[in-house]
Amino acid sequence: MDLNVAIGGPQGGGIDTSSNMINRAFAEAGYNVFGVREYHSNIKGRHSYNHLRVKEDRPRSLKYPVDIIVALDADTIFEHLEDVGPGTKIIYDRSFESSDLAQARMIMRDTARRIKETLDAAKFPNTVKGAVDYMKSRGGIPMPIPFNDVVASANAEGPAARYFNTLGSAVTLSISGLDQKFTVEAIKQVFSNKEKVVAENVRVVEAAYRYANENGLAGKPLKTLQKKQRFLITGNDGSAIGKLMGGLRLQTYYPITPASDESTILEEHEEYSFIEAEKNRLKRGGVVVVQTEDEISAVTMAQGAALTGARTSTATSGPGFSLMAEGIGFAGMDEVPLVVTLYQRGGPSTGLPTRNGQSDLLFALNTGHGEFPRIVISSGDVEECIYDAMKALNYAQRYQLPVIHLIDKNLANSTDMVPDIDLKRVQVPQTLKTVPSPDFHRYSLKTETGISEMGILGKDIFWMTGDEHDELGHVTEDTEMRDSQMRKRFMKLETALREIPANDQAVLYGPDKADITFVTWGSQKGPILDVMEDLKQEGISANLLYLKMFMPFPSEFVKKVLEKAKLVIDVESNMLAQAAMVIKLNTGISIEKSILKYNGRHMTEDEILKAAKDIYSGKSKNEIEVLQNGA
Amino acid sequence: MAHNFKNDVTVDWCPGCGDFGILTSISQALSELNLNGNDVVAISGIGCSGKTPHYLNMGGVHTLHGRSIPFATGVKLANPNLKVIVPSGDGDMLGIGAGHFVAEGRRNTGLTLIIYDNEVYGLTKGQAAPTMQLGEQTKSLARPNVFGKVNPITLALSSGYSFVARGFSFDMKQLKDLIKMAVMHDGSAVIDVLQPCPTYNNVNTMEWYRQRVYKLEEEDKNWDPIITPGNENTAEEKFQKAYTKGMEWGDRIPTGVFYDNRAVPSFTKRLNEFVPNYLDYPPSQQIVTGKDGYTPVDPYGTFAEKLI
Repeated sequence: MDLNVAIGGPQGGGIDTSSNMINRAFAEAGYNVFGVREYHSNIKGRHSYNHLRVKEDRPRSLKYPVDIIVALDADTIFEHLEDVGPGTKIIYDRSFESSDLAQARMIMRDTARRIKETLDAAKFPNTVKGAVDYMKSRGGIPMPIPFNDVVASANAEGPAARYFNTLGSAVTLSISGLDQKFTVEAIKQVFSNKEKVVAENVRVVEAAYRYANENGLAGKPLKTLQKKQRFLITGNDGSAIGKLMGGLRLQTYYPITPASDESTILEEHEEYSFIEAEKNRLKRGGVVVVQTEDEISAVTMAQGAALTGARTSTATSGPGFSLMAEGIGFAGMDEVPLVVTLYQRGGPSTGLPTRNGQSDLLFALNTGHGEFPRIVISSGDVEECIYDAMKALNYAQRYQLPVIHLIDKNLANSTDMVPDIDLKRVQVPQTLKTVPSPDFHRYSLKTETGISEMGILGKDIFWMTGDEHDELGHVTEDTEMRDSQMRKRFMKLETALREIPANDQAVLYGPDKADITFVTWGSQKGPILDVMEDLKQEGISANLLYLKMFMPFPSEFVKKVLEKAKLVIDVESNMLAQAAMVIKLNTGISIEKSILKYNGRHMTEDEILKAAKDIYSGKSKNEIEVLQNGA
Repeated sequence: MAHNFKNDVTVDWCPGCGDFGILTSISQALSELNLNGNDVVAISGIGCSGKTPHYLNMGGVHTLHGRSIPFATGVKLANPNLKVIVPSGDGDMLGIGAGHFVAEGRRNTGLTLIIYDNEVYGLTKGQAAPTMQLGEQTKSLARPNVFGKVNPITLALSSGYSFVARGFSFDMKQLKDLIKMAVMHDGSAVIDVLQPCPTYNNVNTMEWYRQRVYKLEEEDKNWDPIITPGNENTAEEKFQKAYTKGMEWGDRIPTGVFYDNRAVPSFTKRLNEFVPNYLDYPPSQQIVTGKDGYTPVDPYGTFAEKLI
């Protein structure tokens, strides 16, 4: 079982609900689903879709061509012309067939032009019918369904279009051979047992299954697996969960895609619960989430709160992070524990507000004027988001500096099934200071690690200033004190590099020696691990140098791996191969070959595999292979 | 014995600076309120005013230009038991930080904002501040000011501050009393302090102010800016009176309390309605470690709806 599905429709048309139904139905039958959400910066009307993959084991990447494409509107057919291959089932409403591309005003002008060129070149009319025939010419199997009639046969209340998403998922599930009972159970979960809504939608599910059976569309019954409890969560969720577990008690944010979901989730869970063993010992408390007037306020408010001893953080994306630059410098200069979760999207400027990107790495390493230490870490899958968020809070507290946690949009909006959350994987040291320190010197130079005792407002009397300061925290311009404080601050980076476990800095996956050594970070981790297995099938060995910490940088380990490597291919979602630049800066090693993507869409297994093989075989002489998949 | 809020750090303001009167008023007010050095913190911005925390024997953070308000809000939200005063300049609060100034009025967190209002950017050699009159020319300006002025009193009122007052740095008795009231006020308070800059503002001098300032409560024996809970119906009329008085400027300049609305709940009280045990178990006081050194938070219970 390895099923790739793309389900698309108009933004606001319940596409997310649709894939939620599919996720939950497969989960009920014991399967695992992994998916990514792609959408426009638009509230209603423009094309939005979910690409998901179902397997018995946990999928960790997505692949084109898809096995099923579900079009809840005409635009979806046009947008996904190229995502169809031999055997792809195309589910759509026959009434879409007459729709003309020229009337599809919600398709971006340039996209429509490209679609037109494709259809014209292959001599198909510019209608959905023409597009479906084009897909058929590529091996696709059209499965037109009379959406309105099927919904009408269910006697569901309200306009038929309201149920198209339920219908689309139910047909998909029926075609996949999933038993109807699982789909019904999913409907109950999705509509949170709202009796009437559940009843209406269940009737639509029944009608869809009936239609599929009567018309020979239903798939071969799928075997039922042992269902295990799992978390169905996104990268945004993972980070929120990790922060709460890691002791976060105050989060600030200004609304921005794709970061604000994390803060909204935290606010929804401002009443957290304790594990059984702590219920009677600890007092019930809450998490304060503050929507600020801008990101400048968010980054400074989080610091003010941190100085009272609370664990705090903020979350943002590129444009907001740019505004935070000065504030992050204050945290560096004044040694304030500050966690900034930076959700990367396509830049520069407003860029691609809802699309993927990894182009903020160099900026995260260099945010703010002057020189100050910081820790920059990155997550590559939903599970890592949980534990990395906890570690980020720990690092901020231990080393008293800004910690920037990078999560790319692709990961933020990935849906994954996480089997369990390990409460004992990451320790959470206590921050609460109960007794003021006598004769307190906040920036004491008597330290072997660069770390001096943290001052707590409300407990200790101490001073801080963004100016260079003496041990007490008062302004100084003394030359020797300046040198000493600069050295003290940077000493913390050496300490961090020494103390942070090697596996949290960089990991080598696969054999020690390999024909191809991939280098990557962030959400390409899963796809590359899959590509490594594909290559193995073809007799090519591959390993992956996966980077998790960029400052301080694990130079020695990276150097050791790359010096032994035969063919190194760097894979990133940006134009300049930024991680490769960081490697060069720290180790002097140049990586000659790159697979890069900056069109804002998620990287898929098939395109990385193809590019890697082209490079390996010598078919491609390019230094950079640019990937282009995705609607 | 009352805590001594003065420390031994050398004050490097110019001789005759209005800031001295503010510094003395702050430390006297805090002493008279019987506060300790760790009951109260000062969060400042940049400029001459920004140095104030260094001259006080209590927790002090000299933050970034314009950002004293959000910084202070963070302190207060994480530990609502602390008294948080924010000594900042007119440029800090009403120029570069104007967005935060307005937002804080909406929040009403419970900060005491003390605006050092001298109409110039002193530390960068006397450029016009947002409080300078249109057409005014101080000695460091190459030509008369081409900008209109922002009115701290009416802006504070419009933004939603629940305590709005004006003091004069050479009337320390009045200023000290205003600071005491503001610190004890539950919501956020603004005190606009007329504070002559002897080096760069040769127009609005100490003498210039002395001839013009008067006290609201002395001028009008029935002046009553206070709105107590249960008397919210008087708020509109009192707000209008405060606004009208706030517009007065020129030959006569009113000082004292313009508006004191005790019926508006502070941000911390509003949060307390939603965040469990917020006021007596705020973020700064929570235990985040389990007995075994691991998290005490249960993700399964907390995020139960995400379990499938």
